[in-house]
Formats: sequence, C-alpha cells, structure tokens
Amino acid sequence: MIGSLSRTTPVIVQGITGRMGRSHAVLMRAYGTNIVGGTSTRADTKDVAGVPVFASCADAVLATGAVASVAMAPPEETWGAVQEALAAGIKLIVTVAEGVPMHDAIRIGRAVRRAGAIWVGASTPGVAVPGECKLGFLPDVCLNPGPLGIMSKSGTLSYEVGYRLARDGLGQSIWVGVGGDPVKGVRFADLLPVFFDDPGTKGIILVGEVGGTEEEECAAAYARLGARKPLFALIAGREAKEGVSMGHAGALVHGEFGTIESKTKQLTAAGARVFTSIESLIGQCGRIYRFDKR
Amino acid sequence: MLLIEADGKALFAEQGIPVPAGVVVTDAVPALPGDGPWMVKAQVPVGGRGKAGGIRRCDTRAAVEAAVAAMIGTRLKGHGIDACLIEAAAAGQERYLAVMVDPASYGLRVIYAKQGGVKIEQAGAVVGRLCAPHPGAVAEALADLIADEPDAWRDRVAAIGKALATMLLDRELALAEINPLFVSEAGCVAGDAKVVIDLNAIPRQPRIAAILAARPELYLDANRKLAEGFDYVELDPEGEIGLVTTGAGLSMMLIDELTARGAKPLNFCDIRTSLMRGSPARLIRVLEWITERPSLKAVLVNIFAGITDLGEFAGLLAAAIQASPSLRVPVVARLVGRNADEARRILGEAQPGMLVTADLEEALARIDAIVGSTS
Repeated sequence: MIGSLSRTTPVIVQGITGRMGRSHAVLMRAYGTNIVGGTSTRADTKDVAGVPVFASCADAVLATGAVASVAMAPPEETWGAVQEALAAGIKLIVTVAEGVPMHDAIRIGRAVRRAGAIWVGASTPGVAVPGECKLGFLPDVCLNPGPLGIMSKSGTLSYEVGYRLARDGLGQSIWVGVGGDPVKGVRFADLLPVFFDDPGTKGIILVGEVGGTEEEECAAAYARLGARKPLFALIAGREAKEGVSMGHAGALVHGEFGTIESKTKQLTAAGARVFTSIESLIGQCGRIYRFDKR
Repeated sequence: MLLIEADGKALFAEQGIPVPAGVVVTDAVPALPGDGPWMVKAQVPVGGRGKAGGIRRCDTRAAVEAAVAAMIGTRLKGHGIDACLIEAAAAGQERYLAVMVDPASYGLRVIYAKQGGVKIEQAGAVVGRLCAPHPGAVAEALADLIADEPDAWRDRVAAIGKALATMLLDRELALAEINPLFVSEAGCVAGDAKVVIDLNAIPRQPRIAAILAARPELYLDANRKLAEGFDYVELDPEGEIGLVTTGAGLSMMLIDELTARGAKPLNFCDIRTSLMRGSPARLIRVLEWITERPSLKAVLVNIFAGITDLGEFAGLLAAAIQASPSLRVPVVARLVGRNADEARRILGEAQPGMLVTADLEEALARIDAIVGSTS
C-alpha cells in the first residue's frame, strides 16, 4: 500500500474542520494529494476549501471510495479515530497526534493488525512519494523526487536530511516517518521490503534515535532479506541522558538496551553504513548517487 | 520515564507486592527500620546504581549515616543525589521478574530468570514469554516460566507476577521490574523496583501525576513538560551552549554534533513553535532557564520550520531577547523554512550583529568561534 501511493490514491482527512485539519488538507492538496473528502462532528460545515465534509468515515468512504486516511485528531481521540477508519474499511491510516498514550497505541496496533490495515504513527509527520503525493505535513521544501528511500523516527532530523539532499540535487523515492513513539504502526523492519521492491529506490536512509530496539530489529531483517540495497543510517542521541526521555517517549535508554553502541554495532554487522553527522551522511549519498541527481 | 525506586515500591505496596520496611532521607537519618543490616540506596532515576556506587550495605547506624552523608549532594550517572532510601536488608535467593510492554507484538513480555541481581544486566538480551495485554495471560505465561520452582514460594511468585501485570495495565506503565526478587520459605520480597511510566497517560492517571507532583525537583524535567507543554532537559549544569531548538531528533543530533566538536551543550529542547500562538512567553521561559547557568557562553537557536512562519517567529524571538535582561551572551540563529528572508530582516533590525543563517554548519562554526575565544 505504501509502495503504491500516487497522486490518484483517494485520501480523506479525519477532523478536517479543525485548525490543523483545515490547513493541512489545503497544503496536501496543493502538493498533489487526491484529497477526496473529510470528516467532522460539526454538522454545519458542508465543505472545507471545496473538499466535501462527511459526518463519519463510513459516509466518506461510501461516497468517495477513499482507501487512505490522515487522522488529525488530538492524542486522546486518536484511538477512536482509528476505530472509525477501520470500521469504514480504510486500509492505510496516518495518525499525527503527539502524545498518544502507549496503551492506546497497543489497542490501535492490535485492531489494525486484525483488520489487515497499515498504520503509520502514532506520532508521524507523515508519508510522501515526492512529486506524487503526501499524507501528513512533511514540508514541501524537503521533498524532491530522487533515488533514496527515507524512514525516520524523528520529524525534524529527517527534514534536515531531506532538505540537504534536495539542496544537493538529490531526493527521495518514498519517505515514511515512523515516529518517535515506543509503540507504533509500521516499524523500520516492516519498510525494508517496501524499499527493496520499489524500482525507484536505489538506497535507503534510516534516521534513528536511541531507545527501543527498532534499529536492531531492522539490522536483523536487513541481513535476513539479503541486504538488497545499500542502507545508510544516522542515529541521534549519543549524548542522551540515561533514564530520561529526550522529547520522544521512545528515546529512552535503560542500561545496555537501546544504546547507540548496540544499534551501531548491529547495523554495521548487517552491512549498513552508520554515520555520526548529518553532513557525512549527505556527503556519502552525494558521492554514490551523483548520477541520479535531477 | 523511570520512577525512583522509592516511588516504584510505593506502587508495589499499594498493589500488595511485599517490599522491605524503608525510609527516604534527604539529610538527617531518623529511626531505622529493624536492627540491621541495612541497604542505603541513592534515589536517582537510572539503572545500574549498584555498579556505579549508589547502593551500599551497612551493618551499623554509624555506617548508614556515613553512607548517606557520602552520597547526598554528589552525582550518579548524570543525576544529582538528593535523597537516599534506607531499607532493612532482605534475604533469600535472588530472582528476576519483569512485565513490560512489547512494542513489536502489541502485547506484553514476561521475563523470569533464576539469576537475579546485577548479573542479569550483563547477560544481554533476555528472552521471556510474549502474551496478550491481560493479567490472566500474564499469569499463564508466568506459570510456565516458574513451573520448576519449589512449592514453598511458587504460588507467591505467581501472585506477585499477577499483581505486577495488573499494576502495569491499570497504571498504563511501560515496564514493571523487580530485580532482585528475594525468594525464600519465609516469603518473597521486592529488593528493587524499576517502574517506567508513560507521560502521555498522565492526564488520566491521577496517582502517577501525584507521584510526580510530590517531587518537583527530582522529576524536574517531567514536571516541566507537563506544566509547560514542551520538552526541556538540562544535560549539564556547567554547559556552555544553550539550545533553543525544535524537534526531538534534530535537537538530539545537534547535541551529539556539538559534543563531538568539543562544545558543551547545556540542555535539550523541543520548543514546538507551532504551539506558541503568537506569544514570546515560551521563548522567555527557556532563555530564563538557560541564563540561570553562569557557565553559559552562547545561545544557539535552530528552527526548521515546515509549517511555522519564520517572520512571526523572528518577531517573537526579538521580543523574547529584549525581555531577557539576564541574557548577556551572543545568540546565533539558524532558521530554515517559510519566510526565512523576512525573519533575517526582522532580526537584523532588532539585533544587529547577530548571525542569522540558513546554514547549520555556518552556525556551528560561529559557536565554535565564540566558545574558543572565551575559554
């Protein structure tokens, strides 16, 4: 589903009459996303900037055939928004709220798995296929079509990476923000097959953070799947304070677990290149993909 | 976020999990529980305290007093020690028992090991059983893991495991760990408590909220986040570079890169420009915290604005600098995104001489120059 996103994929925005929902629906559509509708509990609003507004996801899907949803719901309402989307048959759900409780995320993950859908979140800046569409609020200034798949725990650090790639004439094939939450939808390892199977992706950039075991899982999957495309990793948090979450709840180091040493060691052993500065990562990508510039 | 042991044990006791009699001290040592020996333990939210010298066994009251005096006011693994927990030393064989959220399976992981104590941390990845997020499923998984424990304490361990699972689910915790769990025919008792809470669940977890509120200094970062709605973590009270930055990942990376260049960042910060709503108050707060540290040599502002209007932000930053008389060091601003030219114009007028650039490497080089010329 993520690999086949395009400018024709019909997308709805849950919570389209809110401040965030309204402005991002307009920005997504301006980028090229096929925003076919939105939902709102406000009965008095029939459309937002020309996008029809429905009372529920079920109504919106019935009327528009939407298969993907961007849920612009506050953290405590995200679980409810996902339930509604799943019940309506949505197959790709992007949730953007920062601060979804971890045990709600467990409930969401179990429900999404049962429904056979795909969830990106809890807190993500979104998914994009540059030049085609974006679901969420990845800044346009960072998006540039090109050969590199990006997957990132951090919004801003991936913006920085995307921005410098674009500055140097490089760009991205598919960009997925997996988010910084400990319990989440798609994980780094889930995305390797997507990037491996996508003909437009020649290399993969992993933007990780200390905490959790996602980078280690990804290293194991990368080796198991035969390292079919180069993997470049940048991991933030070398100087993070042990026992304290650095902004992202997932970025929490306990003892030996989740450290940058463990992640670097396992990614390197699996055949990935791990960088310690943004500029060194960009420089290396520039050298390898200089003939793929646009 | 990790709770200190004393708070974790308070939650244990409320759940019916036996803990040693103990008392938390911040200076003078009151009447001690029992006749000794005692354990004196630094109350800092970090693992591996034993290896780092934060846990001492004492046979006499004089030794307890000496241990407390030696620990309070010092730092352990980056955290200041403001309090110690003094407990009657427990006895028995050592076990390891933990229930935690398993992110990949959307379930819980139950771990039980016959080797407790510090050794478990060196044993590397410990496996356990995965199960659904229900106390009954945890009890079933644990029953398998403890099947060959002697009758004398097997049922007691099972009851503690079930209580741990109930607590984890009711309080919406990420981890509830007992290491070591002392087991003997006389009973089982939790020698330590490692409880990791979910700050995102605080609005609906009044008991956890009360624990944090009761220790404003010890849980300074968490209380700040809850009160202010953004993240600020002091990394080094003797740091030289104050950071006013957005985004957790990029802020962490900046800290890493600054440290690698030999600079000393003071703080981590994710200020969330999208939530400032036209007021410089948040910027003024951060500048106030940063300028409290006499070691400060420069402030680095790094904003990657996907959505935020940088012209508006620049106006707020100029107002905040004006409203912060305690700010007496140079400010370097790296601004990228919407309306950056307007931002440069506004700051150029309000703060002539301040470097405002779109290039992070240029901003870092300026920071190097400032720190280099003052040290």
